[in-house]
Amino acid sequence: MTLDILTQIIASGLTLGAMYAVSTVGLSLVWGSLGMLNLAHGGLMAFGGYSAYYAMGALGLPLPAGLLAAILMGGLLGALTYHGAVRFMLRQKAFETNVVIATVGLAFVLENAVLKLFGAQAQRQPLQVEGAIQVGNVVVPLQNILILATALLLMLLVALLLKKSRIGRAVRATAMNREAAQLMGVRVGQIYALVLMLAGALAAVSGVMISSLTGLSPGMGADPMLKAFIICVVAGLGNVYGAVSAALALGLIEALAQFVLGVRFGFATLLLIVIVVLIWRPNGLFGRQQVTRL
Amino acid sequence: MSNKLKEKLEKAATIGRRELFNRGVVVAGGSAAILAGLNGEAKAEGEPIPVGQATPLTGFAAADGIEFQNGLNLACEEINAMGGILGRPLEPYFEDTKEMGDATNIQAVQRLIDRHGVYAILNGYNVGSGTAIQEVIADAGIIYVHYDTTIGHNNLIKSNPERYYGSFQADPAEYWYGPGYLKFMQQLEEQGKWKRANNKMAIITSAGVYSINIANALKETGKDYGWEVSLFETVNVPISEWGPTLAKIRQDPPGAIAITHFYPQDLAQFMVQFVPNPTPSLIYMQYGPTLPAFREVGKEAVNGVLFATVVGCLQDEIGRAFEKRYKEKFGANAGHMSGGQTFDGAYVWAIAAALAGGPGEQGNDEQNRKVATRMNQLIYRGVNGTTRFIPNENAAYTYPTQTNDSSLGMPHLFLQHQDYTKEPALIAPAPYGVGEFILPPWINA
Repeated sequence: MTLDILTQIIASGLTLGAMYAVSTVGLSLVWGSLGMLNLAHGGLMAFGGYSAYYAMGALGLPLPAGLLAAILMGGLLGALTYHGAVRFMLRQKAFETNVVIATVGLAFVLENAVLKLFGAQAQRQPLQVEGAIQVGNVVVPLQNILILATALLLMLLVALLLKKSRIGRAVRATAMNREAAQLMGVRVGQIYALVLMLAGALAAVSGVMISSLTGLSPGMGADPMLKAFIICVVAGLGNVYGAVSAALALGLIEALAQFVLGVRFGFATLLLIVIVVLIWRPNGLFGRQQVTRL
Repeated sequence: MSNKLKEKLEKAATIGRRELFNRGVVVAGGSAAILAGLNGEAKAEGEPIPVGQATPLTGFAAADGIEFQNGLNLACEEINAMGGILGRPLEPYFEDTKEMGDATNIQAVQRLIDRHGVYAILNGYNVGSGTAIQEVIADAGIIYVHYDTTIGHNNLIKSNPERYYGSFQADPAEYWYGPGYLKFMQQLEEQGKWKRANNKMAIITSAGVYSINIANALKETGKDYGWEVSLFETVNVPISEWGPTLAKIRQDPPGAIAITHFYPQDLAQFMVQFVPNPTPSLIYMQYGPTLPAFREVGKEAVNGVLFATVVGCLQDEIGRAFEKRYKEKFGANAGHMSGGQTFDGAYVWAIAAALAGGPGEQGNDEQNRKVATRMNQLIYRGVNGTTRFIPNENAAYTYPTQTNDSSLGMPHLFLQHQDYTKEPALIAPAPYGVGEFILPPWINA
């Protein structure tokens, strides 16, 4: 293997890892703090991507306004998810199962709403960073570096919010024990709404980033959500830092497997890793036995 | 032939241009005049004929599915303006096949049959096995026209032509992409328009039956044209990061790269990542680049890409007129290349039904066999060129690989993106080609 090939594999691996990481942050946050697997995450990503597309393409707004539009739309949809479905299920015994089914339904609604609003033809995401850097004979687009930087930035922001803020403390308390947090005066309903809004905004930003590479289509969120789900399981449910680290590591492993074994074995390798990890460490690589998820 | 039908055919031969114009025939073009002639003075005021379409209106292929719906709607509208089928208007119904698994496809078709009592199913493509819907059709005794583009259809019909008499694939099987492309490259070399850098060919496919059949056809017949396969890579879809595949290509640069995966966004990403560090390879893709999304996502990186489709709207008088009508009705960005498929499919069936004295309802085996016989005898010139069916395979002939007469086969179109801001140039086959092949910028440089 020449140095150029090795560089190419690392560049591809980091690009894949960055895309997975950026998709994972929001999913991991909701899973960790609410114990809720949000299968509408992919739909939120698509809505975010299309919001930036509409703001920048149809309305001609500048790049920051495009990102802001995506964040606002993601936050709004997160709030609607809570007030439209989640809050009615919170007290149900089978909350964790029921909410999965509810979010599957929501995912269909979101995908079809995008289809009706923007049509089925794939579109180009106008939020693009032109240019590239050359490493040996390998060209690394700045867009890929932007996605990696965004993933790391989102992870840091979420970490700071959870560790350093009053709201973050309330979220962590709710994650540890919902009833106990409620007895201590935490407004659990508000925390749920807040986390869903935040996760919606994170999903929207990831949708913008991913669509800058893959293009926009109504079903664009499905594949990144599947990969994010795998990464959450490998990292340990709800562990945001672990999820980002696992995403980057899995991206590199996938790229290497694609080169050495063939592209079709890349995803199979990820699934094999999930099986091995779950046998070896049932709570994931970074998970703990206790339910302290964040 | 009944006296009544004889009279109608005689009338068709003498119908005046004004009458044709009044009925929208001059607008529709092609073989549509036959239908207007058969209809004579009749207006579409009789009992409606329900027709159905099971198509992916949602899911990953919705972009095509919506165009298939548009194509059938436009055909029904125009046919009804000509008097329908012998005075009976067509009434289209649609069912969503979503992700297009066989189970979903069959249920959708069964609903059209049970709920709406359709006389015919007039589909675009569904990417299931391509051999499941035919069973439902055979049991219901109706006619089925589709554009699944699969050799599986030909083999199924051949296995029992008596049972599957009513199922027709109105375009050639995907297999023909392989030999057709190899022949095309040979012609480029013979004409001195391109010289291969070496005899190596990289074939990249995805896991679907359609893509794999094309890739295998290239692999099997490539050696007859002096090619050796240096890379045969199967990718998972969707795929946006092509780095590992490109690393293999750059490690052993081939003279030609053929990609048989067909998602336009994925193909556009391949070009975006290939162009900064290219190899001197002729790049060929199929189907995906015909869709607007390919140019939309890839921009200038797509300039120079060759691509083909065994069914596509021609850039001639009939094709252009259809494109104009289609875009006027469905918007400037509407994909007439996909819509043209179901548009032609509807006409093929409608003309055959009129020639047979009318379509047959479910279970009217005798009448529908007459319709099927007429379809097999028909040579229809539509927006996609000629539709003529192979006996006992009920699939369209491809030109020039299967027949060297352009009036007897559907043209296997070769196009090239030469300027991403414009429509691609149709460069072959003669006499349909309107542009010239140009060397891709990465080879020219």
